[in-house]
Amino acid sequence: MASRDDVMDVLARVSGPDGRTPLPDSGAISGLTIRDGKVFLAIVVDPDRASELEPMRASAEAAIKATPGVTSAVVTLTAESARAVGDAAPGHRHGHGPAGGQQRQPRSTLPIAGVKHIIAVASGKGGVGKSTLACNLAVGLAKLGLKIGVLDADLFGPSMPKLFGITAKPEMAPDGRMLIPLEAYGVKVMSIGFLIEEGAPVIWRGPMVMSALNQLLREVAWGDLDVLVVDMPPGTGDTQLTMAQNVPLSGAVIVSTPQDLALIDARRGIAMFKQVHVPLIGVVENMSYFLCPHCGGRTDVFSHAGAQREADKLGVPFLGEVPLDIAIRANSDEGRPVVASLPDSGHAGAFLEIARRVAQTLEVGAPGAKPAPRIRIM
Amino acid sequence: MAWPTDIIATDKGRTLEVIFDDGETVRLTAERLRVESPSAEVQGHSASEKRKVTGKENVAIVDIQPIGNYAIRIVFDDGHDTGLYSWDYLRRLAR
Repeated sequence: MASRDDVMDVLARVSGPDGRTPLPDSGAISGLTIRDGKVFLAIVVDPDRASELEPMRASAEAAIKATPGVTSAVVTLTAESARAVGDAAPGHRHGHGPAGGQQRQPRSTLPIAGVKHIIAVASGKGGVGKSTLACNLAVGLAKLGLKIGVLDADLFGPSMPKLFGITAKPEMAPDGRMLIPLEAYGVKVMSIGFLIEEGAPVIWRGPMVMSALNQLLREVAWGDLDVLVVDMPPGTGDTQLTMAQNVPLSGAVIVSTPQDLALIDARRGIAMFKQVHVPLIGVVENMSYFLCPHCGGRTDVFSHAGAQREADKLGVPFLGEVPLDIAIRANSDEGRPVVASLPDSGHAGAFLEIARRVAQTLEVGAPGAKPAPRIRIM
Repeated sequence: MAWPTDIIATDKGRTLEVIFDDGETVRLTAERLRVESPSAEVQGHSASEKRKVTGKENVAIVDIQPIGNYAIRIVFDDGHDTGLYSWDYLRRLAR
């Protein structure tokens, strides 16, 4: 059977649209699919030059047909191009990524080998304590005896290095293409923050975000994990869409403060996950109330129980509330998640209870979770 | 909401069969799927930008890839592969 490389090798003898550059290096190949010896190749050309380039099409087709192991070849000229900016040399094959199917972008939507569940921790609005929750949830799940990883998907504002107190740089696995995640508190952690200087800005357009996320997901030696917790950036943008498209998510946890301003955005986040059929594990109310360390009096700084009301209204489970507390903030800033550093405190208890509920939900499947359809090509 | 249990390309890629868990099976031709591709390359960004795709009577499906939990990407033999067909969209096309 002919491989992609075989086809690319014979195409190297065919000149691309400029009449000089070999086709595989011309950047004009927009699609190559091989199935049972049948080869389908699409070449992007300027529509005005389509008839002029017919000989190129014909010689590409003839060359592929003559390749051993090829039973038929269809080469089409197309004017459609939506190639990602980051993918500068579509002719080159690097041979990584389990799908190996497409030239344009890493498009594997396969689950990650060895990882049982991938869950997203998300919020509509920033500053509600989503990363702190993701970190303590992960440590809590690990305390329950599960094998846990954390992927920091907030490329523009990575928090996991700080929250886990990790300053080391990840090393390359012996195979030279997978990064080994760093470990703290029994959790494997990967973050773009390990790879750039603290305080250095990441200024990327969408396609770069997509490509970086795919690498953090798939080019990291996660090993066997029960749950990979993904700390999402706030909002409903490129990262959320990339995650929703590139891996089957077992569910999402939405974090919100009880104030209306945050809840409006939380509602948006919930609606987004519903739209892409990611089941909702539940809603967490963070900064739920403040207990004064001096007088013991309680203040509902951001109001109270708003997240629970919202969850009830939308028919989404409520996972619990976490108070606004100096111990959580101070320990987080020092890279010591309270679930590990103050395990007997009420705050740790709140996080642990949330972790328990998440674990239970994953055990039975989040509400509305359905198995992926079987896809067959006969 | 009805959920697909099986998605099958048959008839040398000319037909797509989708079996839903409520018992309904929808059959769509590759041509229909190609000309009604939800891709912005076909639909544009508004109704007025929609392109009429013609001459696809013999188009065939060569690959189907899952997209998260909600859609499939269909790869056609003319190289078109930017359409993401959600479960709802497949069902709607069959109406």
